[in-house]
Amino acid sequence: MNDRNRHSDRNRPRQGGPGPEGFSDGRLVEVHSHIARDKQEPAQGFSMTPIFVVFLFCAFGFWAGLYLTRNSRGFSASAFDLDAPVASASVGPAVFEPDAAKGEKLYLANCAACHQPTGMGLPGAFPPLANSPWVAGDEKRIIKIILVGMAGEVEIAGAKYNGNMPNVGAALKDAQIAHIATYVRSAWGNAAEPVMDVSVAEVRKALGSRGQYSPKEILEAHPLGK
Amino acid sequence: MSRIDAPLRVPFTLLFGSAALWLTLASVFSLLAKVQLLPSGLGACEWFAHGRLEAAARNAFVYGWAGNALFALNLWLLSQLGRFEIRNGWMAAIGGLFWNLALTWCTVSVIVHGPGAYALLDFPAGAGPVLAVSFALAGLWPVVAYAKRPTGHNFAAQWFVVGASVAFLLAFVLAQVTVVWAPASGVVQAVAHSWYVRSVELLWLGGSALGFGYYFVSKVLARPLHAYYLASVAFWTYFLFAGWTAPAALIGSPVPLWVQSAGVVGCVMMLVPVLLIGLNLLGALSKEGGWSRAWNSTSLRFISLGLTSILASIVLAAWSSDRAVNAALRFTSFSEGQGVLLLYAGVTMCVFGASYAALPRVSGGRWPSAAAIHTHFWASLLGAVGTVVSAFAQVGGRSPDWAFVAAGSSALLLLGHLAFASNAFATLIGGGESPQSHPAHD
Repeated sequence: MNDRNRHSDRNRPRQGGPGPEGFSDGRLVEVHSHIARDKQEPAQGFSMTPIFVVFLFCAFGFWAGLYLTRNSRGFSASAFDLDAPVASASVGPAVFEPDAAKGEKLYLANCAACHQPTGMGLPGAFPPLANSPWVAGDEKRIIKIILVGMAGEVEIAGAKYNGNMPNVGAALKDAQIAHIATYVRSAWGNAAEPVMDVSVAEVRKALGSRGQYSPKEILEAHPLGK
Repeated sequence: MSRIDAPLRVPFTLLFGSAALWLTLASVFSLLAKVQLLPSGLGACEWFAHGRLEAAARNAFVYGWAGNALFALNLWLLSQLGRFEIRNGWMAAIGGLFWNLALTWCTVSVIVHGPGAYALLDFPAGAGPVLAVSFALAGLWPVVAYAKRPTGHNFAAQWFVVGASVAFLLAFVLAQVTVVWAPASGVVQAVAHSWYVRSVELLWLGGSALGFGYYFVSKVLARPLHAYYLASVAFWTYFLFAGWTAPAALIGSPVPLWVQSAGVVGCVMMLVPVLLIGLNLLGALSKEGGWSRAWNSTSLRFISLGLTSILASIVLAAWSSDRAVNAALRFTSFSEGQGVLLLYAGVTMCVFGASYAALPRVSGGRWPSAAAIHTHFWASLLGAVGTVVSAFAQVGGRSPDWAFVAAGSSALLLLGHLAFASNAFATLIGGGESPQSHPAHD
């Protein structure tokens, strides 16, 4: 039955739906059940379609895995923005760990010009840090001196040093000062506790904008240990 | 066949009649909502705020029109395919009755008190359980019909319809619990809500419409579907990935990145079932003058149009899930256009097509007016095209000219729906005197 014959009838579906030339419901279900069971339409021969579908599915699956792992920031529940800097996105607030190796680099860059890479200082002007009771004991002493500096005469191991140390720490971050203090307190025969960045932050806040310490002031606040 | 059709009559008439009424009501709401966007507008009356009308139109359209129509048509289709004679049709009728009562309450509440925060879940909390129980009474008949089929034979249309019915109830109950009754944390609510919306759109509505597609393409063309052995892969991949497309709606919002990325992957993976379904259905339509035969069959004309739109909308969803594209289209009217493409040009066209075949069978009458069918087809086709095009055209920003096009399209849709509803009522009621007196062709 060609289209022209159907024309008079179009848009007026007769009772029974699509009409006598349509599949009956029973036949429709049966035919498709057989196709599904035999997998291939009979008389069609070998078909590339199933192979193609398998490859296609593999390709989509491969892409999906790749995309998901690359765009999920380690499936972290606290990663929300693909454009956020990686560190803050994936590990949250960083935990500070005092690191003597970092401290050594910072010491060489900021302190060694006067106190020398050996920590021995220079006679008369720059006091030594090696085996010094000044850097050990209460960590606030070394933090304060790094932050605002110290001017005046000090006597260490019988030798007198008349130095004038500027506020080196004003240009450094809390964590950097903590690294430096940690390094100094563990190098050259010193053996004192590491220093945390929060301690530096506390001291910096407490000092406000005060100027250099004199040796007398700092020893009153933090007497040397034995 | 009338052994199967006759006991369907009462529940089918009730359900489909309600569906036609809701469709008309939804069209009126939608037209008013579109008119509110015109420069002149309707004034500042609170009840006629665009947001309220839009929400009422959405609820009436999805639950009222599509819901009732799918209750009726899914029951009818699986009864045909499974040779199932419904014995407790009154249960479906009772379910439909309470579904419609609850929905009326919801619609009034949305208009009077305003919609809630979550689209498609924005009705009074008490209505949720009523809707769920009503659905269980009226919407699960396809499962019964499938389970009781006399032979071991089965067909893809049955899988899609059964899957769609089960998926809706599951999604609805879970969404009610996590969003309305025992609200989870904010992020989980947003994810659950997007999952619910996609489940309704793609699984319940889209799945049923694809079921109609599998049935009518093969039946009207009287030929087996192309590469039919792939249909089971199509079915499983469709139902597997459809839910995962949901988080793509949340790209850029504060939900964990991997959830967003899973949404993108879901959207792209949907291309697999789209390809296979296209191979099955459009492949069969493209052989031996299938398209022209489809054009000359009222049912298949609507359904082939609907299938093409559904597949196109899923392809568009995959494209717009790309993060760069999404960043440009997010919060624009693009998603509105895509929704109309899926739910109106896609699902509703398939439902129209199925009803043109089902109503005469069940009522024993025939469609009284060919002119009304023509009016309906052209008005809804042009209305759908106008709505979609105006939504896509306003992606760069709202414009008064396109707002007129959208309002005009809504008016066209209302006209088409009036023609359809009056024709459908005449068929349902007019054919009723003596259903046995007409010999069935089948």
